[in-house]
Amino acid sequence: MGATTGRVFFTILLSVLSGWLLGYVALKNRTFENIYISLSEVLESVPVITFFPVVLIFFVTDIGGTIGSQLAVIFLVFTAVVWNIWMGIYQAFKTVPENLREVSENLRLGFWGKMTKLYIPFSVPRIAANLIPSFADAMFYITVSEVFSVGNSTYSVFGIGSLIYDLTTAGEYTYALYSLGVLAAVVVVVTLLLREFAQYSVQRYGLDTEASSNAVRRGRFRIRYSSRLSNAVSPVTKLARYAIRSRAQEAEIEEEREKSHHLKTLGQIIAFVFLIGISYSVFTVISSVPDQTWGYLLSTTPYDLILVGADYLRVGIIAVISLVIALFLGYWLSLHVKTERAVVPIIQTLAAFPAPAYFPLLFAFTYPAVERAFGSFTDEFYVLLLGFISTFYYVFYSYWLGVKNMPHEYWEVMDNLNLGFWQRMSKIVIPSTFPYIVSGLTSTINSAWGGLAIGEYWPDIYDGKTLEVHTGLMKYLALADAQGNLAVVGWLSLIFSIIVVIYSVLFTRKLMDLAREKYVAEEGIYAA
Amino acid sequence: MDNELIAIVGPSGVGKSTLLRILGGFIRPTEGEVILLGKKVTRPTPKIALIHQSIATFPWLTALENVKLGLKYRNLTKEEEDSIARKMLELVGLQGFEEFYPKQMSGGMRQRVAIARALAADPYVLLMDEPFAHLDELTAEGLRQEIYSTLFSQDTSLKAAVLVSHNMNEVVELSDRVFVLNGRPATVVGEVTIEMERPRSPRDQKFQEYLDLLYKLLTPVKKKVKEG
Repeated sequence: MGATTGRVFFTILLSVLSGWLLGYVALKNRTFENIYISLSEVLESVPVITFFPVVLIFFVTDIGGTIGSQLAVIFLVFTAVVWNIWMGIYQAFKTVPENLREVSENLRLGFWGKMTKLYIPFSVPRIAANLIPSFADAMFYITVSEVFSVGNSTYSVFGIGSLIYDLTTAGEYTYALYSLGVLAAVVVVVTLLLREFAQYSVQRYGLDTEASSNAVRRGRFRIRYSSRLSNAVSPVTKLARYAIRSRAQEAEIEEEREKSHHLKTLGQIIAFVFLIGISYSVFTVISSVPDQTWGYLLSTTPYDLILVGADYLRVGIIAVISLVIALFLGYWLSLHVKTERAVVPIIQTLAAFPAPAYFPLLFAFTYPAVERAFGSFTDEFYVLLLGFISTFYYVFYSYWLGVKNMPHEYWEVMDNLNLGFWQRMSKIVIPSTFPYIVSGLTSTINSAWGGLAIGEYWPDIYDGKTLEVHTGLMKYLALADAQGNLAVVGWLSLIFSIIVVIYSVLFTRKLMDLAREKYVAEEGIYAA
Repeated sequence: MDNELIAIVGPSGVGKSTLLRILGGFIRPTEGEVILLGKKVTRPTPKIALIHQSIATFPWLTALENVKLGLKYRNLTKEEEDSIARKMLELVGLQGFEEFYPKQMSGGMRQRVAIARALAADPYVLLMDEPFAHLDELTAEGLRQEIYSTLFSQDTSLKAAVLVSHNMNEVVELSDRVFVLNGRPATVVGEVTIEMERPRSPRDQKFQEYLDLLYKLLTPVKKKVKEG
């Protein structure tokens, strides 16, 4: 257990340290900034995790040994959590108040001084806000990745994930349950500690509001900005301000805008190349695939597209169900404060409790009943269920933060105008929380791919049964991987990465831009 | 009394905004009750509309759509909604800005949108919580000069308005009656009826006398030192 948690925190620490450094470089160098941001944004909205059957090959075969396996696991978790943390830090650095920055210039603080006295403290609340979902994400992938197979060999590193896997495969269900108990206890403690830390960091390092300098204006006292009132605002509301990103304000002159546009495109291209490069086997495919295999690969492409389509459909179903439940539950909870206080920590803890670790046992206990109910759709149901339980949290939590962060004036206007439930949802609550919904939904969709990657083909999940869907890209990838058919793995990864990047550039990023431009509830409150 | 504008003044933290929210049914009073036309007010109602200090408009809705929100509870047809909303925008001087988004408008225009939205709901009472506090002095003065005639024009259903303000000039300029809150716990320490013709000028001697009177009532209540 220590090994697993240690790996998780090591990767998170690595992300934070590199984030501080890169964030600072981005502040100083505009070219680097543009490339860095576009690259991270694209990679963040792309489920990089799904390319990993291929990347693992690099670590396991080219580096090899225990180090190779360890590095593979850490790299896998790193790519799952890093983008979020990097972007959070960058956003914090960009929004350091001008007057504080001027003070640091005035005092001639050097790199070290600025970092330790200004930038790092200022970024702490944002990092803290990102830690809970990052921890959940990392736990999910680490329990999966502690055991992975390439070709006929299974590789594992010591950790709770591999332990539970071994126990479940060996039929030692009681011990597996004990291990799950230990895992649950650790997850509960860590989640609660992270919650405490998040609240502490907001109180300690958060500014009252971004506009705290407005507390006194024209000699009059403004209650809204006074620290007294602001400190009474619940930490959750304050935390919510750190959880999403507004577009960093940039004062640019026209010429430079033109230039930065090119650089952004360059960043996107690099990201794209990186994704392709990540499919390391593309190289293998090109160099070692005989002509007839090429012919075969090309001829299967239409079928491959159907596979991708089937998985997009699954991801869509999971995302829609998650969103609908989140919309109602999040709103209902925000109206029922007492229930909310109990339910939200429970949902947070459940989310950090990695589904892949307990899913085989859940499968074992529920299989007979589910089979009676769903018949030939039983496996499909389980795959969607796995996707749902491993992803629901992201959109729920993000949306709930959005609801909590709605300006109190909006609640008063809704009450005042006697708006009905649907009017509230459609005219005010959903638009207000739109940026939160988009960012939560993006995480949900990405993690749903991770869920499918595990669920679509899970040999010997319990008692010799294999969980598998009829048609699906992830299953096909897993099968090709298991058979050591690297050419097919490389080809599928390539097609998939192209589609996913196009999807992210055309759809996800457009939605994010729209959210940032039009649906910023804070802008609806005019307080000069 | 019909068409009366009441002001509530008092030092910071005395509970003016809280009182305003009790009047609107947003907060339940621990004692006493709020009665509107013989009926007890237990929750917020469009008949008592609140205007915020930090001007609240919805950035994803145009000026017209913002105003239409005030009409939703009346279940009107789309055409009726449209025509009333346009009329209200015209009333607050925003004719021609129907399709503008709040972002494209100045603070003063946004507050006009918020006022039009409140008036569209056909209220009897309008509660205004420092409605001009976030506007620059020129804009605020412009709006102040119009607000009285706008609120109590033929086109609105309004019977009374309650204004909370820190700005004594504003209070003397606009109100018919002023309640002064002071002390801890707060009590009404004075009620001043402003008997001046409109429009009122700060250069007027009487204006200054009212100001002096209000400031006198607002001076901190001295704590009595108990002799041991």
